[in-house]
Amino acid sequence: MSKFQRVQNIVIGLSMLISAAVLILFPEGGCLYIMLFLAVSLILRGISELIYYFTMARYMVGGKLILFIGAVFFDFGIFTLSLSDESKLFVLAYLLGFHAFAGLVNVLRALEAKRYKSTSWRLNMAQGVASILTVVIFMIFSRNEILLVYCYCAGMIYSAALRIYSAFRRTAVVYIQ
Amino acid sequence: MQIDFHYYATYCAAFLAGYSHEECLAICYSAQFTDCCTRTLLSTIGGPSEAATTQLQLEMMDARTDLLGLQDITRIWASFHFLPRDLKADPEKGSRIYKAKYRLICGPNGDLLVKTVNLAKDKSLQAAGIAMHVLADTWAHQYFAGTPSQVINNTDYWFFELLPAEASGDSQTSRDSEASGNSKRAFTERRITFRHNPTGKDDLDKGIYTSTVYQLEENSVMSLGHGRAGHLPDYSFMRYKYLPAWGKYEEVIKDNPSDYYKAFCQMVYALRYLRGDHESFEADRYDTEKVSPYDAKIKEILEKRQLDACADWKAFGEQLSGCGIPDFNANLYCAEYKQAPTDDKDDTFLGGYIDAALAQKTMVTHQIYQSDNLLAGYSVEYSESRFLGIRDFIHYIEHKRKKEKA
Repeated sequence: MSKFQRVQNIVIGLSMLISAAVLILFPEGGCLYIMLFLAVSLILRGISELIYYFTMARYMVGGKLILFIGAVFFDFGIFTLSLSDESKLFVLAYLLGFHAFAGLVNVLRALEAKRYKSTSWRLNMAQGVASILTVVIFMIFSRNEILLVYCYCAGMIYSAALRIYSAFRRTAVVYIQ
Repeated sequence: MQIDFHYYATYCAAFLAGYSHEECLAICYSAQFTDCCTRTLLSTIGGPSEAATTQLQLEMMDARTDLLGLQDITRIWASFHFLPRDLKADPEKGSRIYKAKYRLICGPNGDLLVKTVNLAKDKSLQAAGIAMHVLADTWAHQYFAGTPSQVINNTDYWFFELLPAEASGDSQTSRDSEASGNSKRAFTERRITFRHNPTGKDDLDKGIYTSTVYQLEENSVMSLGHGRAGHLPDYSFMRYKYLPAWGKYEEVIKDNPSDYYKAFCQMVYALRYLRGDHESFEADRYDTEKVSPYDAKIKEILEKRQLDACADWKAFGEQLSGCGIPDFNANLYCAEYKQAPTDDKDDTFLGGYIDAALAQKTMVTHQIYQSDNLLAGYSVEYSESRFLGIRDFIHYIEHKRKKEKA
């Protein structure tokens, strides 16, 4: 990993940690900020897909699909920005979808890991069950905006920690003689 | 390629090259062990994790695809299963990273193959086995790269199996075509259906094969090597045509029986070179003379439509040598390595294998790095005064120095 990439990961990780801390301290109206964050993420994803298309995917058979996907993400990000009145519903739908999918994938991975007799299956299963329980909690307390904000922040802190950890990973160097 | 070619066919090639039955077993065991030497296995025997020559599906799922994760994956798959053909290839258009990935496309008879075979010269039988695995895979895995990349390894719906006219059955389309190397033979085309159930068995009669699922991300492990084309490159009887992602909409015809035959003849030539029958190893040379008396039998095995040709190759190998070939057992030498005192581990069978695997990985990584390509990671001259990087490779260098002094 280059020095620039390390610094980039640390800066993004710290920004996410600070954002999560601010949202936890001032959770009222937090859904609106989360939605803004989601909209910006979608727009950035759209831009990165477009860059990917122009630098690499345009030379690939069927690469035009990437161009369309980039345009759709970008468009969807702009559309999300216009949904400020429905921010709570939107955030709820996002969190439900995300955790349900992640939970399912983790449980499937745990079952496969168990088949291979790997010890990692318990961790995967625990993560899967936690995600599915989170979905249940969301459905029960769907009217509580503050709880939604806290759950979103927990996910953000986890992602930030992974980014910062990744920035400090040792660079692999192969020796030759 | 699968165990049928890496284990049993490699045994046959080694025997034709003049090795004894015991030597042939050591070579073919090492060739096949390259498909088994995972980090999980190494961790159970206390071996260095950097000597891993392959990855389990489970390990792949857990692998990170950030830059360091990609370099680790590339070191394993490009060194042992998708040896790049031309590290200086110029696709004319494309960004720097696109060109870097394009240059890792695997193919036979490249400079790296010559270096791989030369690296095994005057080394252990385990080194010869690893070299034979790498050589054979350059034929089976050509057109795919040993790094996760959608723009290189992706395939699409334009994928047809070419069936010899007599074996076509009720094919969906019926156009005559000619596979390369079989200019006078008629083939019919049948569109291939890919499914993504990893536990599903390939259905040769219906033309339904398992492949990895399409992922949008450029660096998804689903786009590693020939995952998107399923096991088609691994079947010796298979002929197919498709549009490789990098191919600018030009169709590629893959004729496995022809390629596998060349791989076999090249293995015999390479092994004879390693035994000292030839002065040097040159690319694009095949020992057809030694193989020709058995042409009909070998081609019959290669052409036979079956998912696993172990029984046929085994029978052929036993007929050649007159000795029984034991079934492959990945754990055969594990106890020996595990129970050996730390200082004696390098002298065990797996110790020799690990040493040869680290040498191959080091050589390929260095060559890729020297070509101004960072996809396999960094490679620097070893300096005793300063420690950086992966300790496993230090052990390899120290072991090498110790042997040289001895």
